[in-house]
Amino acid sequence: MTRLAQGMVMVLLGAAALSVTVTSQTYLNYVREEFRPFLVAAGVVLVLLGAVTVVLDLRSAHGDDTDTHGHSHGHDHARAPAVAWLLLLPVAVIFVVAPPALGAYTAATADQAAVVESAAADEFDAEFPDDGPVEMKLREFVVRAWTDEERTMAGRDIRLAGFAMPNPEGEGWYLARLQIACCAADAIVNRVLIENQPEPPEDSWWTVTGRWVEPEGSLQEVRDHRFEVTEMTAVDNPPDPYE
Amino acid sequence: MSERPSRALASAPSLGDSLARGWDEPDDGHELPPPEWGRPARSGRTATVWLFALIVLALTAGQALLAGRFTHEAFLAWATVFTAISLQALPFLVFGVALSAAITAFVPARFWQRVVPRRAALAVPVAGLSGAVLPGCECASVPVAGGLMRRGVAPAAALTFLLAAPAINPVVVVATVVAFPGQPEMALARFLASLAAAVGVGWLWAAFGRTDWLRPPRAGHGADATGWRAFVDAMRHDLMHAGGFLVVGGLVAAGVNVLVPRDWLAAVADTPVLSVLAMALLAVVLSICSEADAFIVVSFTEFSATAKLAFLVVGPMIDLKLIALQAGSFGWAFVRRFVPLTLALTLLFTFLIGGWLL
Repeated sequence: MTRLAQGMVMVLLGAAALSVTVTSQTYLNYVREEFRPFLVAAGVVLVLLGAVTVVLDLRSAHGDDTDTHGHSHGHDHARAPAVAWLLLLPVAVIFVVAPPALGAYTAATADQAAVVESAAADEFDAEFPDDGPVEMKLREFVVRAWTDEERTMAGRDIRLAGFAMPNPEGEGWYLARLQIACCAADAIVNRVLIENQPEPPEDSWWTVTGRWVEPEGSLQEVRDHRFEVTEMTAVDNPPDPYE
Repeated sequence: MSERPSRALASAPSLGDSLARGWDEPDDGHELPPPEWGRPARSGRTATVWLFALIVLALTAGQALLAGRFTHEAFLAWATVFTAISLQALPFLVFGVALSAAITAFVPARFWQRVVPRRAALAVPVAGLSGAVLPGCECASVPVAGGLMRRGVAPAAALTFLLAAPAINPVVVVATVVAFPGQPEMALARFLASLAAAVGVGWLWAAFGRTDWLRPPRAGHGADATGWRAFVDAMRHDLMHAGGFLVVGGLVAAGVNVLVPRDWLAAVADTPVLSVLAMALLAVVLSICSEADAFIVVSFTEFSATAKLAFLVVGPMIDLKLIALQAGSFGWAFVRRFVPLTLALTLLFTFLIGGWLL
């Protein structure tokens, strides 16, 4: 790959990184929100580096030929291996396919998030606000449902947001949300089982208000925690697909 | 490294270099546009500009015509994970090559001669411990190690740094403590086993390694070239040599991530040795960033603590993305020897430290 081509590949790659962070918010489909400044910085550096490379190369073509020493001998430092063309693949995938956020397809096979008892106490506030439904993340809901022996959630109105996914093994459907630590490659799922509402289309997003169905026996014995929905609103455009 | 010694190295009749050269100087038939034999450089440049105009046009047309036409769920999940791995690695790669280029262009070779002990036996543990200060993941450590070698740091020490940095830096240690609440011994075991494996590999490499196994990383200008021009050249060189391989690793890792069901793992969870090997294998194929892997492995509740430790120790040192990246930077002759050695030592120390602490 010639140096000119390398410069242009870098510009395109940088442009792809900037297009998902600056001109749109689609980076949220792939990485965590905190990652944005790093992606923007990487995009800017790539565009600048590519532009400088192109300019240097074109200038050397116009006579002051101090850089093309490489053409005469075996290892040409200005060239890059052909495999570098593959850097255009993520560019093509980002611009043409524009992959959506992971959803029910992945949630059906992803590992369920582990619930560690001692984590719960540090992770969330012990007290709920007094009035109105409590908004919480699905992660918080399942952690509380599995670990809070005080059962503080019982009888409270709770509001959750997530996407619908079918339950292949029986009644009802799941409201699910994927949780990522770094990028979409490490997605794990949190989900609650809903039985008192007809199943909406797979991957449609909903805000549901309702109550935790308190299990009769031990909290940990339950395979899925259940949620009794009183009100359900469609969400058109989830702000961040992951939690 | 000046032009002349690097040419001398390239012409040394070793298997390592003939293989390395195969990767470094691909058959011109694969180049687009082909540098038409004897054609003046100017028209080659014009062809390149036209080619990229066509690529941009194709991207725009593809975006307009195909947007929303992709509906196959598995393909979309694969595309999302591939994009995620690529984007997530990108800042680390750019940061890594920038740091490496800065080492090459702005830090004089004298500095390293003073800081890094001359004897490899001493330089290796120093390099291992200094891995604790680079807060990045594995994508950043490969180019930085290349930059260190270019500046005359002994390869064994640079490789120890490469292995240790992504595994024992403060961000990773904190992430591990957070992911395993109430089990700080997991982070401690990870730190000790990773450091021991990295230093062990370094010592073995210092004792038995041969220079011609390793394609020395080269930049466009000699060791004497410094300043911004050398910085830009070194950065472009490293980025282009490592970047393509990173994409290869991302392609494979995304495929494995989406296609391989996790159920088969549960089958081996109860067998003591097999479960450890299975988790090590999973770490290699999933290629998760070392700052995120602790959050993943904690969800494998049916596995023993030692099996989880294997995932945390092997993953930052060996995974598909990293193997591809190392091949791009140091050549396949290197990877063929370095990766099995690293795997053997990471497993050894996983069993030893896991048996002792967990």
